[in-house]
Amino acid sequence: MATQAISTSLAPQKRTSLKVYFWRVANNYVLRRVIKALATIFVVITVTFFIIRLMPSNPVDIFIQEQMALYNSSYQEARDRAAALFAIDLTAPVTQQYLDYMGNLLRGDLGKSYRSQGAGVADIIKQFLPWTLFSVGTALFISFTLGVALGMVMAYRRETPLDYVLSTFASLVSSIPNYLIAIIIIVTFGSQLRILNIAQMRGSISPGVQPGFTLKFIGDVLYHAALPIFVYVLTTIGSWMLAMKSSTVATLEEDYVTVARARGLKDSRIMTSYVGRNAALPLFTQLAISIGFVVGGSVLIETIFVYQGIGQQLLKAINQRDYPVMQGIFLIITVAVVFANLLADLLYGRLDPRIRVGSEETK
Amino acid sequence: MTKTVLEVKNLWVEYPARRGVVQAVRGVSFDLCQGETLAFIGESGSGKTTLGLALVRLLPKSARVRQGNILFYQNGRVQDVLALSQEDLRQFRWRDCAMVFQGAQNSFNPVLRVESQFYDTARAHGMTGTAHVKQRAIDLLRMVQLDPNRVFRSFPHELSGGMRQRVLIALGLLLQPQVIILDEPTTALDILTQRSIIEVLRKLKKELDFSLIFISHDLSLAAELADRVATVYAGTIVEIGGVYDIFERARHPYTQALTHSVPTVTGDLRDLTSIPGSPPDLIVLPPGCAFHPRCPFATQRCKEQEPPLEPVGEGQFAACWNWREAMNKT
Repeated sequence: MATQAISTSLAPQKRTSLKVYFWRVANNYVLRRVIKALATIFVVITVTFFIIRLMPSNPVDIFIQEQMALYNSSYQEARDRAAALFAIDLTAPVTQQYLDYMGNLLRGDLGKSYRSQGAGVADIIKQFLPWTLFSVGTALFISFTLGVALGMVMAYRRETPLDYVLSTFASLVSSIPNYLIAIIIIVTFGSQLRILNIAQMRGSISPGVQPGFTLKFIGDVLYHAALPIFVYVLTTIGSWMLAMKSSTVATLEEDYVTVARARGLKDSRIMTSYVGRNAALPLFTQLAISIGFVVGGSVLIETIFVYQGIGQQLLKAINQRDYPVMQGIFLIITVAVVFANLLADLLYGRLDPRIRVGSEETK
Repeated sequence: MTKTVLEVKNLWVEYPARRGVVQAVRGVSFDLCQGETLAFIGESGSGKTTLGLALVRLLPKSARVRQGNILFYQNGRVQDVLALSQEDLRQFRWRDCAMVFQGAQNSFNPVLRVESQFYDTARAHGMTGTAHVKQRAIDLLRMVQLDPNRVFRSFPHELSGGMRQRVLIALGLLLQPQVIILDEPTTALDILTQRSIIEVLRKLKKELDFSLIFISHDLSLAAELADRVATVYAGTIVEIGGVYDIFERARHPYTQALTHSVPTVTGDLRDLTSIPGSPPDLIVLPPGCAFHPRCPFATQRCKEQEPPLEPVGEGQFAACWNWREAMNKT
């Protein structure tokens, strides 16, 4: 009785002072995670900025060498042309360049390419990123869903011939580097067996096809993306399968699965809500990281299949020491990876109630 | 007279292993009456849990039921559990016979709320109408002394071990099964929680009419709850009888040793004795009576012939050649 009286008399006096409010905001889980993500991005930008400039040679020298090799011009001629073309001052102190770059970045300006007739970095990304997002994103979706499904099949049918076949397949394909598979496909199916017309499949779209919501356009896009997607799926599906298999096998041993059987639940219900959902939980972190890397694409695959995505642009920029383009692409990769992780952290609580943190008031 | 709800006849369960065949249950026969509580007691690894799992056919895939019958009697109908089809078996589980497992800590799907797990169970057995199920669930949760408003909407991890065990008992009663099997229901719980679980079970038994099979190594809990007690040794029942007979007038040397190895409230501590030796290897069983290497009354006959269960008192049976000697010694 006494305690009750005290608590009721205290309750109305509890006002949210400014200080309390401040601490509540500062302790907010989401806010803390966002700040951490931004800090990570800042550190990565800074580090890549300096590492890029530590690479041997520089854009001007590369350009001069290219000009000399291409047009057989003398060093002096090439140098003059370079000086005219490059309206940039690479002799400025690196710290000054860094401050300029960060200043521009804060205004949302990613800078201009040193090459490609001074095209804006943002425009380059806008032009090439969708192709990579489409091809790698589709591949990731197929690879994840198919891998999870096959992993569960392997776990349910473990120690059977089907399991042995799928396990061998999974470990085989996940241990071969993707560029090797790409080359093997081109050599066997393209050059030797001549089943695929590799030359025609190059690029991300056939010349003359108008973008639009037409069957022709969609078909053409899929035709060109088919091989990269196939290689991505083939080389990543193995790890999803094996991860899902081991996770499912562990989940099948859980008491609650036995109890669910004892409760007479239907097998389909047990497989989805009791086994599948719990077994897939550890895979979501991995999936989030993979989603982040979708943006980066695969430099080697895009180069081998001449698929015009962001990875190919990155390779080109590296070869030309095109600092702003490199920085721009690294920046979006970083942002994508960091935010995919952040999103995974925040969404994980939705999927697994046991780690729902901070979002609920402590009682 | 009371009618029989469950009859087990000569049940044999074995697990093939690398070293040989593990004989987990060897020729167990017993029957269970309506409203009765039968406790199976014995050391770890004596085959008690395998016996419980066999009753609802939840044995691991590797297990083999070599022979035997498990008959459920309900409304004049007989079901042979071992002969049920997969779908009939699914329906039979929980509706006719619910099993509450040891370590209820992990008995609930961690990503579903308690309520969904109640609804899941009801739906699997064709009980539709959420309101009806909810009402019954809330009544049951109240019966096991939980606050339904809090517990029903909770996730399993938000509940303590004792609460989860009680929720599982409530869930077990949801479909009004005729038989409930409790496998070590109080293991991993502290002594006060154990006590409250026992109280809850007693109260439920009084209010609802169901039979209980209670599997435990905790003799004092068995003594409190059971009407009849069966002692299990090396996969077989070595003695079965009324709870007072078993604890006061045990005839089998193993039962005697078991009851003397736990302290009593009133007894002298010096009376405590442990059983020499260790439980037998269920792959290579000793010839004759499996208990003879540890038995103080063992004779040549015990090493050669396995004793059958024979009446040693009213409703009391023991499997021992020398039960008379064992009786006179005490």
